[in-house]
Amino acid sequence: MKLLVIEDEKALAQSICDYLNNENFICEPAYDFNTAIEKISLYDYACIILDITLPGGNGLEILKELKKANKADGVLIISAKNALDDKVSGLKAGADDYLTKPFHLPELGARVAAIIRRKSFGGMNAVQFDELLLDLQDKTVKVNNQVIDLTKKEYELLLYFISNKNKVISKGAIAEHLWGDNMDLADNYDFIYTHIKNLRKKLLQAGSPDYINSIYGMGYKLSLPR
Amino acid sequence: MKLLTRYNRINLFSTVIIFLLASAAFALLLRFLVINQVDEDLRIEQNEITSYIQKYNRLPEVIKVRDQQTEYIPLEKTPDNLHDYFQTSKSYYHHYDEEELLRQLNFNVNVGGIWYHAKVSKSLEGTDNLIQSVVIITVITILLILAATFLINRIVLFRLWQPFYSTLNAISNFKLGKGALNLPETNIDEFALMNKTLKQAITKAEEDYIVLREFTENASHELQTPLAVIRSKLDLLIQDENLTALQSNAVQDSYDAIQKLSRLNQSLLLLAKIENRQFNETSVIDIKKMIEEKINQFRELWLGKNITVTTELEEASITMHISLADVLLNNLLSNATKHNSENGFIHIQLKQGMLGIGNTGGLQALNEQLLFTRFYKAHASNENHGLGLSIVKQICEVSGCSIEYRFENAQMHLFVLKW
Repeated sequence: MKLLVIEDEKALAQSICDYLNNENFICEPAYDFNTAIEKISLYDYACIILDITLPGGNGLEILKELKKANKADGVLIISAKNALDDKVSGLKAGADDYLTKPFHLPELGARVAAIIRRKSFGGMNAVQFDELLLDLQDKTVKVNNQVIDLTKKEYELLLYFISNKNKVISKGAIAEHLWGDNMDLADNYDFIYTHIKNLRKKLLQAGSPDYINSIYGMGYKLSLPR
Repeated sequence: MKLLTRYNRINLFSTVIIFLLASAAFALLLRFLVINQVDEDLRIEQNEITSYIQKYNRLPEVIKVRDQQTEYIPLEKTPDNLHDYFQTSKSYYHHYDEEELLRQLNFNVNVGGIWYHAKVSKSLEGTDNLIQSVVIITVITILLILAATFLINRIVLFRLWQPFYSTLNAISNFKLGKGALNLPETNIDEFALMNKTLKQAITKAEEDYIVLREFTENASHELQTPLAVIRSKLDLLIQDENLTALQSNAVQDSYDAIQKLSRLNQSLLLLAKIENRQFNETSVIDIKKMIEEKINQFRELWLGKNITVTTELEEASITMHISLADVLLNNLLSNATKHNSENGFIHIQLKQGMLGIGNTGGLQALNEQLLFTRFYKAHASNENHGLGLSIVKQICEVSGCSIEYRFENAQMHLFVLKW
């Protein structure tokens, strides 16, 4: 599957591509309006990550172009303007989601994964990771057909990890995902530790392998146990 | 002192003084003229008496008339002084049978070798009445002038100065960046000039203010992208499995710094946006429901710090922008959490028109004056950027509510929101 990152800040576009590139995704950058228009007319993308302010034109125009061509590409808007108007007009114009800069790459990863799930698999309602089966509709998790009783936060945390599997996610990114960026937590991430500890305990008790590892006390990573 | 009062004082004071002086001069002049007239009459009488004596060589018979009395006093020897003289004195006046103020001409006549001292007098009582009338008229005139000035000032001057007061009123209600300044039209040149000058000064200030605001907003926007780049690079960096402990510590510190910087930037941006009135769409919000949701969000944080939370929530609604309401509650509740002590308390009280959030924490009251200013920190070492409460204040200002701080029972820091 192909992803397109339309972002004039090359360093940022590169970061996004480096992060999203894996065995399933090939990520391409487009640094200006015209290149972007050319690419979207030539190829189909599973998801387009779109900056609003671009040299040569407005990102929203690209969105309109996509809709005109009846393309089914998912669109995630990333913008420095976190004005509500931009968000509303972006979503109205047919974007699937909206993310404000500066964001954490795992947050972007999770949003892109969600868009692709909705778009490319005909609104797939389940996510499988090894022995874990997440029902997105009921928000339940099963290990070997046995339902694990998770809190809402623990469920969200697990889905976040699975959307960013094999990636180290910083504590800050986890906090922001679970609590939103409004909450000023004064850099105290102790409570994240508690959540992850509980999640791991519940997964282990249900007989699942231990997927989540702490990395240098700086973040966590979900991956298949080696 | 009002300009009008001051003007009135000077005006009235000088008017009264001039009138008093004028009346005094008038009275004196009048008296002088009257006495002159009386003196002339007395002289005529004297002439008549002397010519009578020359003709008949005897004293004329004293006839009692109303406006004049004549008296002859025989002298035993020739008077040393033959000069006539006038005098004004209070003496007996036969017609009224009492002491009266008299003008008297004294002269000596020789009738058949006998010297007589003749006194011809006229009453000055009439003159006195005249002067009295002058004084009364003066007093009445002064009173009338006082009343007239007062009324004229009240009505005419006040009306004349009306544009000035309207302008003053408009200026005192004016706030930069909160709507245009409407100065009343006036056809008085001075006021028109004043209004024009004021408008120019304010337009300049307004422009500067807008430039500053836009600068803040633009600067914050421009900072977002580099922040996004740094953060994304860090997110990539930690994917490297070969980081040493030293490197990962450095990354962690960078994360924290970026986090702080981006929060600061977001807060500045939010402040600029609130000031730019970008949150104008208000709706009626079920504040009780909103608080209950927030309490659920914060619950785990409170558990972590072992903070006991008590609530008294009644049904209440508030009309404001929903995002601003969210930020407002977030800031107040995170403050109550962050600045709380271990095993502390938070009390949340809600009723229609009032929300109180109290928390334990520092044992000293915070500085009420500085509390809501930007970048205020109770302790210099504080990790926070100090914008939270100024955002709260700003939100209150644009949403038509008020926020105040109280320190109660020497332990509870209480923030009360009223709308």
